[in-house]
Amino acid sequence: MAGIPELKSEWIWGVLIVAFLIPAVNPLGVDFPDSPITNEIYDLIENLPEGSLIVMGGSGVIAFDIESSPGMIACVRQMERLGYKLVTCPLGSETPQYHKFIIDSAKVDVSAGGSWVYGEDYALLPYLPGGTAALVAYLEDFKGTVSVDMRGIPISELPIFDDFNNYEDIDIWICPHWGFVTIIRICTGEYGLTAISFAQSTAYAFFSPYMQAYPGQVYMTNGYLGGAQYERLNDMKGLGHMVQDSYTIVSVLIAGFIVLGNVTMVMKGEEEE
Amino acid sequence: MSATSTYVRTYLTRIVVVVAAVATLAGYYFAYEPISTVSNELNIWSSLITSFTLFVGLISVFARYSRSVMNRDNNWPFHLYCLAMIVVWIIWGNMIGMYSTLYQTLYMSTKITLHITIIGQLIFFSVSGMYRTFRIKSLRTAVFAFFTVLIVFLNMPPLIAPFPALSTAAYWLLDNPQMAAARAMVMCGGIGGVILGIRILLGIEKGALRVTGGD
Repeated sequence: MAGIPELKSEWIWGVLIVAFLIPAVNPLGVDFPDSPITNEIYDLIENLPEGSLIVMGGSGVIAFDIESSPGMIACVRQMERLGYKLVTCPLGSETPQYHKFIIDSAKVDVSAGGSWVYGEDYALLPYLPGGTAALVAYLEDFKGTVSVDMRGIPISELPIFDDFNNYEDIDIWICPHWGFVTIIRICTGEYGLTAISFAQSTAYAFFSPYMQAYPGQVYMTNGYLGGAQYERLNDMKGLGHMVQDSYTIVSVLIAGFIVLGNVTMVMKGEEEE
Repeated sequence: MSATSTYVRTYLTRIVVVVAAVATLAGYYFAYEPISTVSNELNIWSSLITSFTLFVGLISVFARYSRSVMNRDNNWPFHLYCLAMIVVWIIWGNMIGMYSTLYQTLYMSTKITLHITIIGQLIFFSVSGMYRTFRIKSLRTAVFAFFTVLIVFLNMPPLIAPFPALSTAAYWLLDNPQMAAARAMVMCGGIGGVILGIRILLGIEKGALRVTGGD
């Protein structure tokens, strides 16, 4: 039997590029399952009292946190529908831009056709340097830690902050960033807040033990699949849905290349014999 | 280095670190208002110091790249480009507002897009690497390759949608053997961090608190 030649890396990359382009041009619309954890998160947020204050905060890098954006955007739309309030806590230098990206993408502001008014229903804060120390200061004494919002407006002039003084005024903390462990350690471990993360798939693999450590207080969705599930729960199709097509095709290719590599190895061995 | 500055570098820094660490730990373990007040105040100081370090980083980059440009070191055009971009973006950001829609669009379209591209390249190298390295030559590589393919397939949406049991199996693998290993790594990292901190405070470990020139 003729041997299979060793594939050059460039050929593999070429196949992958085509594989990524196919669903971009012609979406496949592959089906995906529900997840009990994602459903639990959705129900948890659905059942909060009207006017609940939710904090979106943490530390991360936008390039990684993009994977958390499908679920977070869907969740922001859910919050707008239910009349909740949203405040941010950016603990990373790129995080304010990411939070603005989430709000802009969710189109919840009145200028984008939504119902949220800035300063009354939601507010964006500037970068809070200090990591864990900044987080503790934020939770202990919000008005002592933050004086202006992202645009430089004093927080005393924004009605959403009138009744926000410390962690006791926060109903749920949502972290669409890699740095979820800090949030769990401090917000949940020290202050008893319920923490939700639309986690990246790698983060889920590393941080899922915390769901067992804090049952009923820590929840995580799993990567783009979790984002797609949350989008579907909110009757929307976004980046999460789009990624499922690419993920399906590349999954088949990964398995195929591993099998092909082993077949190539076996045939080379037979030839040498 | 004079003896005075040696003593200051050696002991003053350690005193500051020990006082801050003890105050923060005490605020963590004791529910006593004065201790909590001190601990919270130190947290705010920490935030201010972190803000200061941003400027230190910027000044360091400027100093290093300026020297490189003046000396025409390797890649000096890129260093000059970097310095020019820093100046342009600082002035531009202050003029239009760092959180304005225009700044946001420019930032997301340039730096973030390039960053995502760099991260996105990994899949190409990963797949070609898997093609070459996941060759079953021993029991270890057989187990490695088997579980890689298994996890990939057990997370494939079109497979797990009609067969939910596959998703359950995938999560069992993630929540049991994978989680056991992840927990071990997290605990080792935590214990290692505590030990390293104690060694630094005691002056055993070479680090920021160690006086230069010595053992």
